[in-house]
Amino acid sequence: MSGIGPVEPGEDTRVREAPPPRPRGRLARAFARHRRAVLVCGAALLALAGGGYLYASRPQPSPPPPPPYPSQAIDLVYGAPATGSPEPAAGAFTFVVLLSVRSGPPVTVTRLTQPYDGLSVTTSPAAPFQTNSHSARKIIVTLRVTECEKAPRNPGLPFLDVTLRNARAIEAHSFILGTRYARDLSKALEAACGRDSR
Amino acid sequence: MRQRSLIAITAALAAGALTLTACGSRDDDGGSDSGNGGGGTTVVIGVDAPLTGDLSALGLGIKNSVDLAAKTANKEKHVEGITFKVEALDDQGQASVGQQNATKLVANKDVLGVVGPLNSSVGESMQKVFDTAKLVEVSPANTNPALSQGVDWQTKKVRPYKSYFRTATTDAIQGPFAAQYVYNDAKKKKVFVIDDKKTYGAGLAATFTEEFKKLGGKVVGTEHINPESKDFSAVATKVKNAGADVVYYGGEYPQAGPLSKQIKEAGAKIPLVGGDGIYSADFIKLSGAAGTGDLATSVGAPVEELPSAKEFVANYKNAGYKEAYEAYGGYSYDSAWAIIEAVKKVVEDNDGKLPDDARAKVVDAMQNVSFDGVTGKVSFDEFGDATNKQLTVYSVKDGAWGTVKSGTFTG
Repeated sequence: MSGIGPVEPGEDTRVREAPPPRPRGRLARAFARHRRAVLVCGAALLALAGGGYLYASRPQPSPPPPPPYPSQAIDLVYGAPATGSPEPAAGAFTFVVLLSVRSGPPVTVTRLTQPYDGLSVTTSPAAPFQTNSHSARKIIVTLRVTECEKAPRNPGLPFLDVTLRNARAIEAHSFILGTRYARDLSKALEAACGRDSR
Repeated sequence: MRQRSLIAITAALAAGALTLTACGSRDDDGGSDSGNGGGGTTVVIGVDAPLTGDLSALGLGIKNSVDLAAKTANKEKHVEGITFKVEALDDQGQASVGQQNATKLVANKDVLGVVGPLNSSVGESMQKVFDTAKLVEVSPANTNPALSQGVDWQTKKVRPYKSYFRTATTDAIQGPFAAQYVYNDAKKKKVFVIDDKKTYGAGLAATFTEEFKKLGGKVVGTEHINPESKDFSAVATKVKNAGADVVYYGGEYPQAGPLSKQIKEAGAKIPLVGGDGIYSADFIKLSGAAGTGDLATSVGAPVEELPSAKEFVANYKNAGYKEAYEAYGGYSYDSAWAIIEAVKKVVEDNDGKLPDDARAKVVDAMQNVSFDGVTGKVSFDEFGDATNKQLTVYSVKDGAWGTVKSGTFTG
């Protein structure tokens, strides 16, 4: 026991009556009337915002890398002089190159040329032609001497210039087909024009 | 009470949202400090390059790129139990200094591979020292064919040193590639050839000249310059009088820049063409406006074509190196990574530890290294040369090098 009881009301200690409620504003009155609806809507909005935030900040899978440039996705290698029928025309050199697409989307060869004056080029299949990813195709290339005076003597590292297109880019790229191609081309040029025809 | 429930539910939802956010599995790096490695044994990758002097722009790019490779390997704990460190020595572009550096690197038993040098002449002086010690050397920049294919490479290829490798394409391809472009695409038929008498410059000029003549081009004059000089006015006058429509220079940018400027000042408004040795931002600084239209071939495909190179460029930038990675940054990174891969193979084959004859084992492992690097697929042929042989022609336009044409050797 603490000895302290409830304080009896004495003079001027009567409990005053609570003042009459102050008139409330329109908003407050509206809130009072629709309290439940407002709270439900507020909670829904909060939940929506929380969900939206969670969705927006979810771990994003990294975007797939862009496809490679076509020149970085293919191999173009010299095969050998073409044999069999039809017999190549005089002054022509027909050979096989192998094109393979290592990765990325299909690659289209839109143009295949050679850079030397005095020579013309045709291919089978004729450009443009498409090769799918992870597949290869043979291209038969025929070079014809149009002017011996302008044709190269014996180029050491001759090119083929190829224009390539895939979903990433269109680009012109040179393929240096190596010493075997250089040797076969020189032999063909010598047969067509003679060693000292220039 | 109902209102309270609603408030409680809302609070719970909000708290849940915050908790989930905090616990979300974002793709945070979570990796260790880049400097911290796999602990255990320390393996040193040596670097030899010109870190001071005229060619330091290229040399510092090499050093920084090797450093980035080592840091990346340590961060990823690429070789369990091994921490890579880099020891970089300055050869000042001098063969004699390079040879002393080679001896110094051999003496450090923790060095299991060396990246460098820049110059072929320096590389020549280091090869025997490294080979005797069975210490692998991977050059990101040597282009002289003789280093890997022997002095008679044109007639009979013989590999002189088993421990020598390179990621750069050789001048056996670079010179003819330039000649083909100059003759066929740029339609220049009369060339004046100049070189600096050094292993790289003279070798490159020779392979260019041979191919240019085979194509039917005419060499209207040849000159050698003294790389110590900056006054090339006499040579410039000779170029003007020879009636050349193009100059080919075998050498490096500290001389090529002033040479280009002085040739134009002498009245010959013709392009100067060079190899990877002039493919530097410093060439443009030195040649000034006269350099516009000048051309360079350089090893590799343009950076923008290689996604792996883009990653390297971003990482290099983030690492905060003061100097640019320059022409050989990607090749240096790949050279260092080839050493790291070889060390990894040796360690894994020896129950996770370095064997006593680690250096010899690393040389053997290097021959079979194969990975997708910054510059494409990295592997080596029977001569220790890179199997990936790409080249690009660049020209100076609006004060910067721009890509003109790329080629791939597939022979």
